[in-house]
Amino acid sequence: MLIRPVLRWLDDRVGGAPFFSKALNRVFPDHWSFMLGEIVLYCFIVLVATGTYLGFFFEPSGREVVYDGSFAPLQGVEMSAAYRSALDLSFDVRAGLVMRQIHHWAALVFVATMVVHLARVFLTGGYRKPRDLNWVVGVTLLVLAIVNGFLGYSLLDDLLSGTGVRVANAILLAVPFLGPDLAFGLFGGEFPTEDLVPRFYILHVLVVPAIIVGLLSVHLALVWRQKHTQFAGEGRTETNLVGERLWPAYAMKAGSLFFLTVAMLAALGGLAQINPIWAYGPFRSGLATTAVTSASQPDWYMGWLDGALRLMPAWELRTEWFTLPNPFFGGVLVPSLFFGLLYAYPFLEARWTHDRHRHNLLQRPRDNPGRTGIGAAVASFYLVLFLAGSNDVLAGVFEVAPESITALFRVLVIVLPAAAFALTRRLCRELQASGLRPIAEPGGPRPQPEPEPEDPRGGVRR
Amino acid sequence: MERSAAVALTISTLAALGLAAVYIAGGQPQAEGVLLALCLGGIGVALGLWGKDIGGSHREPGAEPAVVTAERPELPSDAGPRADVAASLDRGGRALGRHDRRRFLGRFFATAAGALGLAALFPLRSLGPAPGGALRHTAWREGSRATVDGRPVRAADLAVGSVLTVFPGDDTSEDSATVLIRVDPDRLDLPAGREGWAPDGLVAYSKICTHVGCPVGLYQETTNELLCPCHQSTFDVLRGARPVSGPATRSLPQLPITIDDEGFVVAQSDYEEPIGAGFWNRERRP
Amino acid sequence: MTARRAALVLVLVVLGTTAQLSASGSAGGPPTALVAEGADLYAVACTSCHGADGEGVEGRGPSLAQAGAASADFYLSSGRMPMDDPQGQTQRKPPAYAPEEIDALVAFVATLGEGPAIPDTDPQDGDLPTGQQLYTANCAACHNSAGSGGALGQSIYAPAVTDATLLQVAEATRIGPGAMPAFGPGTLDDEEVASIQRYVGYLKDPRDPGGAPLGRLGPVPEGAVAWLVGVGSLLVVARWLGAHR
Repeated sequence: MLIRPVLRWLDDRVGGAPFFSKALNRVFPDHWSFMLGEIVLYCFIVLVATGTYLGFFFEPSGREVVYDGSFAPLQGVEMSAAYRSALDLSFDVRAGLVMRQIHHWAALVFVATMVVHLARVFLTGGYRKPRDLNWVVGVTLLVLAIVNGFLGYSLLDDLLSGTGVRVANAILLAVPFLGPDLAFGLFGGEFPTEDLVPRFYILHVLVVPAIIVGLLSVHLALVWRQKHTQFAGEGRTETNLVGERLWPAYAMKAGSLFFLTVAMLAALGGLAQINPIWAYGPFRSGLATTAVTSASQPDWYMGWLDGALRLMPAWELRTEWFTLPNPFFGGVLVPSLFFGLLYAYPFLEARWTHDRHRHNLLQRPRDNPGRTGIGAAVASFYLVLFLAGSNDVLAGVFEVAPESITALFRVLVIVLPAAAFALTRRLCRELQASGLRPIAEPGGPRPQPEPEPEDPRGGVRR
Repeated sequence: MERSAAVALTISTLAALGLAAVYIAGGQPQAEGVLLALCLGGIGVALGLWGKDIGGSHREPGAEPAVVTAERPELPSDAGPRADVAASLDRGGRALGRHDRRRFLGRFFATAAGALGLAALFPLRSLGPAPGGALRHTAWREGSRATVDGRPVRAADLAVGSVLTVFPGDDTSEDSATVLIRVDPDRLDLPAGREGWAPDGLVAYSKICTHVGCPVGLYQETTNELLCPCHQSTFDVLRGARPVSGPATRSLPQLPITIDDEGFVVAQSDYEEPIGAGFWNRERRP
Repeated sequence: MTARRAALVLVLVVLGTTAQLSASGSAGGPPTALVAEGADLYAVACTSCHGADGEGVEGRGPSLAQAGAASADFYLSSGRMPMDDPQGQTQRKPPAYAPEEIDALVAFVATLGEGPAIPDTDPQDGDLPTGQQLYTANCAACHNSAGSGGALGQSIYAPAVTDATLLQVAEATRIGPGAMPAFGPGTLDDEEVASIQRYVGYLKDPRDPGGAPLGRLGPVPEGAVAWLVGVGSLLVVARWLGAHR
């Protein structure tokens, strides 16, 4: 085959055969839940590939133009060049619509699988030392993914996403002292401006993806260097790796997962309509200068933020000298607290449990009832916020007043996480006690002799 | 396994040809998506079938099993290399020089770096104009005619229960968007100091919600309330658009209007407070 | 007969005929028989809430003096009237009367006062893009960009405009039923109403080139599909490929 001559050619110029040989033989633990992070990576690849294609057609300009394409209901309507280019791509470029839809579905699945991956790492204790560093990198990637998704769908300058940018403007304004300067700085003046689209564009296609690529490389490099964790079980210890070699088993399965992920996104992109911007119309145009559609929601990963805004009662701190506007609490305080705690969690837990050891073995969720309970509480908190963000849609479906839904959720947002925590913790304890599916006795090679107590690296613990 | 994988790959190949054909024929999104999915999925299934088969019970003699065990070396470096790093840092420190003048030089560097860092922030100022008073003013002035799509609005155009979105003259800047409603004048109960702001039951309020700035487009005639569709803030039109429900904390600012000699609706002045969402120094009168 | 006498007779005949025509209702009004039939139907079903002369009954039904033919036709043809329960919002349901009976009731209610006549706008005269703009500016905030309606505050909801006939769309626009504001000729002229009708006609059968429209409810069902179909199927794939313990 070609491979060996090519490798020889490369080695003559670069060297590195020892590294390559070690890499090919590397062992990767093969539990199915370890593949979630890979799926996130593959979604990112799809986003970059489809995004590049879209970039050839999108016109990142807020300049006002008149539509003259093939979609009859918008013939002759004023709109931004950005919106027009998106319409042209959807109706008048072959395969343009399916590329746009794959891109958008990939964004939704990207953040969703990232959250599932985060949940797996959290529930199994995979963030404990030495992987607390990688946890910090990962949470940053989550924030960047959410931000980039928001920037991306706002680029199209349609009525629905434009409403979301209004809200973003108000949240920025609500920041104490710096608010108006931040808002005017981002938009280039008082919202809405013509500069909005080009600025979002540069952030969305260059700045944020560049940071994501950098941090993703660090994230993967750390996993490579630290080697993946594994569940406790037969033959598995803190000092070994049980799994499949990179070549050929792991590579084949990784390749399979890549193709199947992209296939699934392609199927969604063709079969399920997403973000039909032609149905909303442009954000601003001749007769519809300040319009809005009822049942306006952001994409799912921003839904919790909208829900927080809706649930917050009408409180505002207002004195003659200083105002803390209402959107501050839901739009600035809640996300800051949430992500702050998420970042700090590994370090807080280490302090709480007085655990300074390195861990390479994972725990099953039931093995740490408190942590799993916290995970359930956070998940239910998020779920209530997300549902609260669609309170008007729910009100329509269940034929009740939106105020009733909001009132119910105000209670649930406190009660449900507390109940979830208690219930889940109880469930874990009972699972442990029941002896259902016990871990087989850890056997295998004897661990290395315990190092001297004075050694600053500390001992090896199971 | 070989047969299933071959079938999957054949489907994939055919789908690729189909995709090319659909494209040449003019394209069709559903067909494109499904064919692409089959094309990629076929390869994915084949790879997965083969990958799962590796190291299985019918592997070739000499091939290792699928699951193997390897050593996981300790991460922290041994004491030797750590000491080497420390020694190298010491060597460098001695070469740089440790006496007071050198240490003092270090402080100069720190000051220069800090100053450069601060100066580098200044170009950020060019990103946008200073807010100044922009948030406190709209384009409405004394005598501005309320217009819809450039046409001035006559008071007679609105019956009780009608609602219009109006702008000052030709200026359609967002913050000037105003809702003009005619209510029964006997039921109006405006706050003190707004006498003469609402001739013949015609009231005008800012259309930009005081919560997070969505257009307050819904007028409920039976309850005389303006409802914002974003987060359901509700404002009582008869009582100066004060918030009665939802997360909004401040009334919609009211535009003082009157009717001129030709019957057109005109403003008496700009809004007397900032419209829209709040900000930290909103209550400070400049 | 002299010419002068003939002229006098002619004038009398003309005056008499005109007097006859005026007596049968508003100028060029519907045949008296239709109004009478309407009056009979009204007396049976409507007086308990709207009063014997349409003056309204406190706590049960409003006055019909300003209703006009447009209101009557709208409420009756959409089945909203007669209402089972006078409290709450009217609901669309199958009409209680046959079309001829509705015409009779409409003719009668029109005589009760000075309300708007049934709009005679033709959707085909409307301009589709203008309709899109006007709909977005005036209707979407309550009825939603896709026309599927939505919950507003306090148990009031905007119904789906795609359920209505285009005539009912024009009638509702003019009369502003229930919580809906009225858009009289001063706010939207006939051509603009025709354009809105034409656009609502489009909304009843919109283009969905992207595939299944997922209920046209926007990002909420899209997020649900991303999780259930997207994440769900990938979890299945991962479990197929990976080990289980």
